[in-house]
Amino acid sequence: MTPDKTEVTEPKSDGKEQSPEFGANGGIQAGRYYGHGLPYVPIEHYPGKIIAVEGTDGVGRSTQIALLREWLEVQGYGVVETGWTRSALMQPTIELAKSSNTLNKLTFVLLYATDFADRLEKEIIPALKAGFVVLSDRYIFSALARAGVRGVDRAWLRSLYGFAIAPHLVFYLKIDVDTLIRRVLSARGMDFWESGMDMKGGDDIYDSFRSYQNKLLREYASMADEFGFRVLDARRPVDAIQDDLRRQVQAFLSNSDITTDNLPGQPPIQPT
Amino acid sequence: MGKKKNSLTPTTFSLLHATDFADRLLYNIVPPLKAGMIVIADRYAYTAFARDVARGVDRAWVRDLYSFAVRPDLTLYFRVPIDVSLDRLMARRIKLKFYEAGMDMGWSLNAQESFRIFQGKVLEEYDRLVTEFGLSVVNASLAITDQQQIVRNLVSRQLEKPQLEAVNL
Repeated sequence: MTPDKTEVTEPKSDGKEQSPEFGANGGIQAGRYYGHGLPYVPIEHYPGKIIAVEGTDGVGRSTQIALLREWLEVQGYGVVETGWTRSALMQPTIELAKSSNTLNKLTFVLLYATDFADRLEKEIIPALKAGFVVLSDRYIFSALARAGVRGVDRAWLRSLYGFAIAPHLVFYLKIDVDTLIRRVLSARGMDFWESGMDMKGGDDIYDSFRSYQNKLLREYASMADEFGFRVLDARRPVDAIQDDLRRQVQAFLSNSDITTDNLPGQPPIQPT
Repeated sequence: MGKKKNSLTPTTFSLLHATDFADRLLYNIVPPLKAGMIVIADRYAYTAFARDVARGVDRAWVRDLYSFAVRPDLTLYFRVPIDVSLDRLMARRIKLKFYEAGMDMGWSLNAQESFRIFQGKVLEEYDRLVTEFGLSVVNASLAITDQQQIVRNLVSRQLEKPQLEAVNL
């Protein structure tokens, strides 16, 4: 239960190599790198937008994203979706690692960061450049939360993800653990990783799920101000949440420079 | 797997190597250190500092990435001019590997030329590391027996120090 107290499993960024705070250069700016970024990939003035939907397992993210995507596409926006462990590079490796028992929390954190970096450079940045709306099912915050509850140093995690781009909008689907438990149980049951069974808090999956998800929810809550989450009450009906999402996305996009391919009043493109 | 498809970016290249390093650190380096043994590592985090920065990764980011590593008690840097290393590789008829030659950077389609450009940047970074981290430089153009004598002297001196103590980077 007690984590092994070696000096290597808990990365520290104290001492002279202090990691820069996120947005140290004048606060977090949407569409800019959080930290050091990718020096070899300039991203200024890319027209696309990143909209991230965050929240714990079973909170209804994918349902909301599917509805939001359809609505955006009907309005003529180009939409690209991305989500964790969907990178071509890392997906097989991560699946393999999850099914075996050879990884510790540090290597897990690094594998997930690799997956994110691959998707950032191969999917997200090209889509931003081409003027797409990128809908991200989870963003770096889930990775920060999961690693944070496992005792990985928070300053080190923020430096690690300093290559990430701050989304233009981050929606956080907030739920309480009791509602979450009932929802997960009636949908598909509790899964090993979502229950934090790797943290070895006991053999009872229900107790483990409750305690792990409670910690995760606290971790998300602590990031809300830091990263400017727009908090949505996820206990409401799907449609009510979706209405909220659309209203806020609409307000943001209509004030932005992003273009659609069928703006109202614009003549349709004539076939040549 | 990623390497074969030539699909790594400088950052995923860096992160995958850090993952591999973290695994080896926890399984192969820390346990013998705890048991009071001597660990000889063929390359360490400094390789990443030089190689990844030569690829364009941020210098401070990669140092912070590896801040979970144990700082070595002694680091030997075998310094050799590019021509010598290239000659040695050619003499052994070793085909230059894609990433080793920095072919992923697209600086040259010719492997030797690419190697020369890439390794030039790597060596510049190593020179920076020598002062930043106090690496002990061994002139790798010398005869092997001479180099080995220097290495043994450096190691002996290190072992005579009162206590072996692992310190975080």
